[in-house]
Amino acid sequence: MYIIIVGAGKVGYYLAKRLVTGRHTVSIIEKDKALCEEIAKDIEAMVINGDGCDPDILEEAGIRRADVIAAVTGDDEDNLIVCQLCKELFKVGRTVGRVNNPDNERTFSELGVDVPVDATMIIGKIIEGEVSFSDFVNLMSFKRGRLAIVRIDLPAGSPVINKQIKDIRLPDDSVLVSIVRHDDVIVPKGDTVFMPGDDIIAITGVGNESQLLAIFYGKI
Amino acid sequence: MYIIIVGCGRVGSELAKLLSAEGHNVVVIDRAQSSFERLGNTFNGLTLVGNGFSLGLLRQAGIEKADAFCSVTNGDNTNLISAQVARKIFNVPKVIARVYDPRRANIYTALGLDILSGTILFASMIRDKIVESRFSSYLIESKDLGVLEVEVKDDLAGKAVADINVPGEFMVVALRRLAGVTIPEPKTTVLKKDILLAVVKVEKLDAVKKKLNIQNG
Repeated sequence: MYIIIVGAGKVGYYLAKRLVTGRHTVSIIEKDKALCEEIAKDIEAMVINGDGCDPDILEEAGIRRADVIAAVTGDDEDNLIVCQLCKELFKVGRTVGRVNNPDNERTFSELGVDVPVDATMIIGKIIEGEVSFSDFVNLMSFKRGRLAIVRIDLPAGSPVINKQIKDIRLPDDSVLVSIVRHDDVIVPKGDTVFMPGDDIIAITGVGNESQLLAIFYGKI
Repeated sequence: MYIIIVGCGRVGSELAKLLSAEGHNVVVIDRAQSSFERLGNTFNGLTLVGNGFSLGLLRQAGIEKADAFCSVTNGDNTNLISAQVARKIFNVPKVIARVYDPRRANIYTALGLDILSGTILFASMIRDKIVESRFSSYLIESKDLGVLEVEVKDDLAGKAVADINVPGEFMVVALRRLAGVTIPEPKTTVLKKDILLAVVKVEKLDAVKKKLNIQNG
């Protein structure tokens, strides 16, 4: 795939590095000239010094043949405009925008960014999950907030302990993705039996959280 | 009207004072408290410190009952985002954004936003003044038509407006004299020292000036 990254800060840099390792073709657009030179030495990618909100710069980067644009600068306005220009003007198939301020997540979705990635929120939720006694954590929402990946930490008193998956009835649009038990990752099957302390990762339609809570904790 | 202005720089503060003096309810949002000093002490609207596209702050500013919203900060992207938030999320009836970059201004105008580009506007104003000081094309936001100001001298005095007009090229639309500005009828006679405001085809400007014996200005 051909992927254009706007913003070569920490996020842009590691993203580019990973994608290049994954044998994707990558171009990076960055305003800061010194940063551009540094990155050009380090990563096998085309590096363009310029403003990603400028349609000429995007064209120079070959936006018309890009499969994905990832706008990952530290500035939400820039990320939004880059995604919009790419979508509306250049008809790029997939736009990914980094959300710096969680307050702007809805704006990203409403203004047509395909995948808003709200790192602050994701990290916040993971940390919250680790430090609090809340056993049910929403790890990430996608599809404009209609689907969520959640983590359920199964307490000893859970009504599903020692039961097989096929014997419990999940809400209609919920799927168990994996169970982390000690150091093992178990792919759940019908005969998998729940144990206390299981970390369950599930995908669920938003609005089902209370049903999931009821099933796994026996409470709402 | 209930109007929200984002950005309290020179343009924003001037606009806020103007609208507030006319009796409108004005709320001004700016990132820096110190910007509100530009409003002076006669401004009686509301001021809020913060980000002009923060949903929470906009609700606090009363965006749900706003009749008009304009974003006039010095950041094109901020203005474009704020304006879209006002229009798409809050459905404000009238939304205007200021955009410096002519290319982005054109793109977002094509996408249906109401954009004013000071850069384009100012460049065309200056162009007009260079070409003819009594001519302006920006008034009707067109590069094909402009408004020309003509002072009536001996050769035009006593003529009827209908006899001065040239169909499709030159049309008198207003007449300014001591008594005030009026829209003249075809039979209205123009008098010496009247000022005529006429719509002119830009490409016919030179021909019209020659015909009416107007000196270059």
